[in-house]
Amino acid sequence: MALGCKKLDIAPNDQYSSLNFWTTSANVYNALNNNYSLMYNSNLYFNLEGTSDNAYSANNSDLLLIASGTANSQTAEFQNDWASYYSAIKSCNEFLAFVDQNKTLDAATLARVKAEVRFIRAFEDFNLTKWYGDVPLINDNITEDQAKTETRTPQAQVYTFIVSEMDAIASALPTKDQLASTENGRITKGAALALKARVLLYQNKWADVVTTCEALMGGTNGSYSLAPNYENLFNDPATNKTNNESILSLQYVPATTRTWSNYWDFAPRSVGGRVSALAPTQELVNDYIMLNGDSITQSGSGYTEANPYVNRDPRLTATVVYDGYQWNNEGSTNGPSKTIYIKPGSDPTQPGLDEYSRNSESSSPTGYYWRKYFDPSALANYQSGNNLHLFRYAEILLDYAEAKNALGQMDATVWSQTIGALRTRAGFTDPNALNYPGNTDMTVIIRRERRVELALEGLRTDDLRRWKLANTVLNGYVHGAQFSGDPSTDNGYIRAQKRTFNPNRDYLWAIPLSELNLDKALTQNPNY
Amino acid sequence: MLLASWFAPAYAAGNTKEKTLFTQANISISGQVTDERGQPMPGVSIKVIGTNIGTVADANGKYTLSLPDNQVSGKLQFSFIGYLKQEVSIEGKLVINVTLQPEPNNVLNEVIVVGYGTQKKATINGSLNTVGSKDIGDKPVLNAYQALQGESPNLIIQQSTLDPGANVNINIRGIATTGNNNPLLVVDGIVSQNVNDLNLLNPSDIANVTVLKDAGSAAIYGSRGANGVILVTTKSGKFNQKATLNYNGSYGWQVPDVLVHKVSAADNAYYRNEALENSGLPPAYTPEQIQQLQAQGNGTWDIQHLIYDAPLQTQNVSISGGGESNSYFISGGYQNQMSNFIGNGGQGSDFGYQKYNFRLNQTSVIGKFKFNGILEYTKTRNKTNSVGDNNIIADANRVPANYSWTDAQGNFLTNPVASQYNEYGVLKQGGWNQADNDRIFGNLNGTLTITNNLKLTGVFGGTIQNNGNFFRRTQVNYLPAGVYGNDLTTFDNNAKSNAFNTQLYASYDKTFHQDHHFSATLGVSSENYYERGFQLQKTLTDPTFGTSTTGTLIDATNSYNSLAVDQNSLLSAFGRINYDYKSKYFLDFVFRDDSSSKFAKGHRNGFFPSVNTGWLISEEPFMDNIRKTMNNLKLRVTYGIVGNNQTAGDYSYQTTYFNYPAAYGFGNVLQGGAGTNLSNELLTWERAATFNVGADFGFFNNKLTGSIDYFNKVTSDIEQTPLDVPALFGAAPPVANVAKVRDQGWEFQLTYTLKTGKVTQSFSANIANTKNTLLKLTGNTQQFTYQQDVWQLIRAVGHPITEYYGYETNGFYQNQSDVSSYPHPAGTTVGVGDLKFKDLNGDGKIDSKDQTFIGDPFPHYTFGFTYRIAYAGFDLTAFIQGVGQRTEFLRGELVEPFHYDYGQTLYDHQLDFWTPENTDARFPRLATIGSPSNTNNWRTGSNLYAFNAAYIRLKNLNIGYTLPPTLTQKIGIQKLRVSVIGQNILTLSKLNFMDPETTEFDNNVGGSNASNSARAYLLPKFYGMGLDVTF
Repeated sequence: MALGCKKLDIAPNDQYSSLNFWTTSANVYNALNNNYSLMYNSNLYFNLEGTSDNAYSANNSDLLLIASGTANSQTAEFQNDWASYYSAIKSCNEFLAFVDQNKTLDAATLARVKAEVRFIRAFEDFNLTKWYGDVPLINDNITEDQAKTETRTPQAQVYTFIVSEMDAIASALPTKDQLASTENGRITKGAALALKARVLLYQNKWADVVTTCEALMGGTNGSYSLAPNYENLFNDPATNKTNNESILSLQYVPATTRTWSNYWDFAPRSVGGRVSALAPTQELVNDYIMLNGDSITQSGSGYTEANPYVNRDPRLTATVVYDGYQWNNEGSTNGPSKTIYIKPGSDPTQPGLDEYSRNSESSSPTGYYWRKYFDPSALANYQSGNNLHLFRYAEILLDYAEAKNALGQMDATVWSQTIGALRTRAGFTDPNALNYPGNTDMTVIIRRERRVELALEGLRTDDLRRWKLANTVLNGYVHGAQFSGDPSTDNGYIRAQKRTFNPNRDYLWAIPLSELNLDKALTQNPNY
Repeated sequence: MLLASWFAPAYAAGNTKEKTLFTQANISISGQVTDERGQPMPGVSIKVIGTNIGTVADANGKYTLSLPDNQVSGKLQFSFIGYLKQEVSIEGKLVINVTLQPEPNNVLNEVIVVGYGTQKKATINGSLNTVGSKDIGDKPVLNAYQALQGESPNLIIQQSTLDPGANVNINIRGIATTGNNNPLLVVDGIVSQNVNDLNLLNPSDIANVTVLKDAGSAAIYGSRGANGVILVTTKSGKFNQKATLNYNGSYGWQVPDVLVHKVSAADNAYYRNEALENSGLPPAYTPEQIQQLQAQGNGTWDIQHLIYDAPLQTQNVSISGGGESNSYFISGGYQNQMSNFIGNGGQGSDFGYQKYNFRLNQTSVIGKFKFNGILEYTKTRNKTNSVGDNNIIADANRVPANYSWTDAQGNFLTNPVASQYNEYGVLKQGGWNQADNDRIFGNLNGTLTITNNLKLTGVFGGTIQNNGNFFRRTQVNYLPAGVYGNDLTTFDNNAKSNAFNTQLYASYDKTFHQDHHFSATLGVSSENYYERGFQLQKTLTDPTFGTSTTGTLIDATNSYNSLAVDQNSLLSAFGRINYDYKSKYFLDFVFRDDSSSKFAKGHRNGFFPSVNTGWLISEEPFMDNIRKTMNNLKLRVTYGIVGNNQTAGDYSYQTTYFNYPAAYGFGNVLQGGAGTNLSNELLTWERAATFNVGADFGFFNNKLTGSIDYFNKVTSDIEQTPLDVPALFGAAPPVANVAKVRDQGWEFQLTYTLKTGKVTQSFSANIANTKNTLLKLTGNTQQFTYQQDVWQLIRAVGHPITEYYGYETNGFYQNQSDVSSYPHPAGTTVGVGDLKFKDLNGDGKIDSKDQTFIGDPFPHYTFGFTYRIAYAGFDLTAFIQGVGQRTEFLRGELVEPFHYDYGQTLYDHQLDFWTPENTDARFPRLATIGSPSNTNNWRTGSNLYAFNAAYIRLKNLNIGYTLPPTLTQKIGIQKLRVSVIGQNILTLSKLNFMDPETTEFDNNVGGSNASNSARAYLLPKFYGMGLDVTF
């Protein structure tokens, strides 16, 4: 064509194509990092706590629906989380399908990055199966057409696969102690064992849990120990990033675009909070024991409703902000050090920003705020670079305690290795709290310990499901502090939300309706 | 298309050497035919009445006719389509010059811009409409599309927001693809990259607009003709015309129409308690508190206190004229539309949109060569707030009436409902977003007349565009708490683009043997587009200047260099071959062959033909008797295949990997990542097979004219993301040619002109409708494009492209026995005053099997009506426009009381809710989010949310008075007209709390995030004055 001197074969000049992407070694790492970024995110980490009895979300419509038992197969959270996990799986499968095109990285390096990607894929499988039950287990870089005929793999097989993957990749992974400090945050042998332990625990395979935990407690797969200070593990940027307790954390970098800011909607308004999107419940607060080791309901515990927050497990103050809380800003620019007034009318400065009010979206609907994961170095609007712990050694100790107890092997040694150690670290000094109490109520004690130790770390709903406690604790009202002003109803404790839980349905999420429409080989969970 | 003017006359034909058809030639008569303006008229048919002796005038209107001497007492008849026939007695004269007069109001006579040329309306078989400058220029709008709304049937213009400078949705003949429905825009012969570029033109520079609708008219644009084509011709000077200077301007105020009213704070508290009580929860307000609210009265926290009557002005000056061999048109325009939102964001001018236009159009004739150059410069500036209109309107609406934006000291306040932001403060001090766009449009073209029959035209033109954006968010502190903009973000971006178009085409035009008229245009074209841009974004910048300071961070994720390049090319050959017999039977063939860089080799070439016929029935002898009543009647039929390549991206057939920063971190150090864009190597055009049948008619000396068209268009191979791939695939599947849509419709327009004494009136009306049906959607599946608790949007085969989907409501549970007997959705608990849903399948359960199609969001029966009257210097134009049928679903705080507790308000228009005393209500009983009642009523998607968005609107009213020329000419003014102008002054609609014209959809009613929260910018009513002076 006389006028057309421009060619029609035009390629973008700022992107790689399939011809040259994988052969460049730096791109292998870029693709690996992309998989890490898809592994999990801060919304999944925090929000789903609102489906448990630890927290109430007043303004997340999906959480409201799920927590109140009225979610269905079209609930967006069900669809979005499903899609999010499978998108990470796709990215992993693509990586595993193509990475061998690279001819410059050495075999050990290739084996290691593949092992990391297989861990991430297994972690997605784990999340899928724990929420949805039987799920398609996709281990190949499938085509669009293949996706339309995927069937659900029974949950037991999914769990078996994850365990076998963890066994298979371990040899290619370094231990925590072998990581260079610049590699902090990468997947290790310890992480593979920790995921394996959790998967076994969720199947009540107590003996296997014990062996797996012992593999981590022995030090041969990385030297793990409890960090000296519980609060610092989450809040103090230095401890949060470098400690011997974290087995795998979701990594963030301060003062960059790799940050999270969910805490903006957790903090009291007077110290920079925006809205109260996820509020701790009275039920959670009640599970923190007294310094003397007694639960608050025990006679002689010293607990009084009039002054409920004194002499309690120090982790309460490290986790929950209550009325009269002495807020230490630790140098934060997001708000001053001050007393937090939550009881209506108690704030000497009126209007009291943090006071409970049924008509406010900014003050907590339960009369409690979160302190855990308060990052004093966060930038404006609580943009934090602190890591979010996915697996930490404390969980391993709790897994171990639970398994040992289930096997009838709980004793003073196991106690002091686990609950005792956690309570010592938490700051208990009373021997009554620290010493082995004998086997009375041990299941309750272990579960309560697990709840308070791991509050806001996204494990409570899982635990309620596997303990089959959800139909007990997720039915009826979830409460806030004693500020409702109506003593005739629930003794004046705020009724935050009426919840229902159908044990014949709600132990699993619905398979998204849109998926059922497109993949006829899928089936729905019962009663959706 | 300026080409038009030097291409004329379209009928440049005729034989210079005439031969008599009779051998017995004795005398020879010659002469020249001129038109009413004294210009030579080529192509006029001359015959001796009662014989078959005849000829056709040549390119200079000259003719020679030899005839036997027994005919010297006969009569010659001069005829030409659209002109009154004239009979002249020969009476022995040897030279007979004739001036023909056009038939009054004969639209067939109009010269119309078509692709790569012009044609007389009579010879056009395709379906098209024209809109003249009169219908565009009289309206005080900044946006040429707003001026076109309602002027051409089935040119459907919808607003997604009425913000100054906002773009519109444009559909010609409805929706024919699930992909991009944008028509192609061609300005002065140069193809535009973006259909919204028309908004950059100064509306008063537009001479006319042709809307090409069917394949017959649009096939010349081939792979981009499927959605129709808008051809815009700008004004030019005329030869042999003395210089004139024209000024026109208007000034007025835009008065925003606030349609929503909160109930008083005390009532709001009362209803809030009622909602809580209905939800089994304790009341939020004590009776004392309600009394206190009553005593306090209302504060200022509402929309009214965020807006003002903003001025809107336009100023235009133009000079035009021409001599023997050249003509010129120069114009300058200034338009300033202030936003109705108060404030300036803290610095500089108030929010608003300004546009500056400069235009130069010069034509010279040098021998056989005609040369034309057009140069246009446009500058626009649009300054908007930093937070987004939706947020402003939502925050103003969701807070009860007792709160105020400011206290007595002027501090910005927050409250328990809007605890973080105060939008009044954001508008006043929270920063701004300012777009500064510059564009140069140029077109150099030349035509060489090789012979009387053959011309060669070369065109080179295009645009160079530079779009910049400057954004700052600045900090605003609130009392008692809350802060906005403390991230102190500043960003700057800039994108440069070039679009060039080179064309070369030849046109041939000749009449053979008197009755066979043949013309052809054949050419080639090359288009290239190139764009690159950069952005630099920082946070924690200096609060005063936005410069870098201690602690400033560069946002690597949102900053990029000028690397990203969008680039595409198109190479084409095209042609149009017209033939007519006796100017009665018309046949033409139009084609284009395109080759596009958007597709892989083997899939990038497309051939797009159209065959078109016409029959001018009114020229048939059997119509002789009724021709006085029915002056014109032409039937047209076209069939062709046109394409659409707009949905595909520039490189979508190539799998690409993109690196990005800040994917993750190791050891507290950022790590980059790489993502994948999957591709489809088989991707190619969409193809639309279009059939059109139509008629043009004129009655009563063409006082009544009109046209009617019916079309059937089937678009296949529609480019879209396959919708049948489950999410467990794990990635967005690449775009493929998968869907098929049928679009059928009709158009009707009618104009009646009436002149009685000194009064001239004209009535002009048009109405149209289209109906689209999805024939195939990735393997005949159906797809929910939007799924929420309020309703769903579905694409289903056999139905319109997008429909609302959900339950049908069926009144209320009126009593306890209703509650126990009538089914409700599983998992809900209902009480008296809650909604019932129809059990459509009659199985005694309410479940997803009872969901159904509950409304079509696309406008139907769109219409426009123009009335003009002129008397003794006074003139009035009234323009009415509307939509006969549209269902719109609305949600949010303006629909649902105490919406999600995010909204804490109730509005006057929501008061018709169920109570034991009001059992025949529009809305269910009040209840709060999370309650069984609320879950049943509002979280179970149904047509509870449906509203009737049909409307009729007095869009424009213009009353003018022209001073008597005898008076003004004494001071050298040829024309002086003053006018008063009103716009949007009256609207009738059942939808009474939101402007029915706005839509949340894009132009394919795609709805992945369509959920109308009734938070659109308000409709401004305009009241102003105009002045028009010509020297």
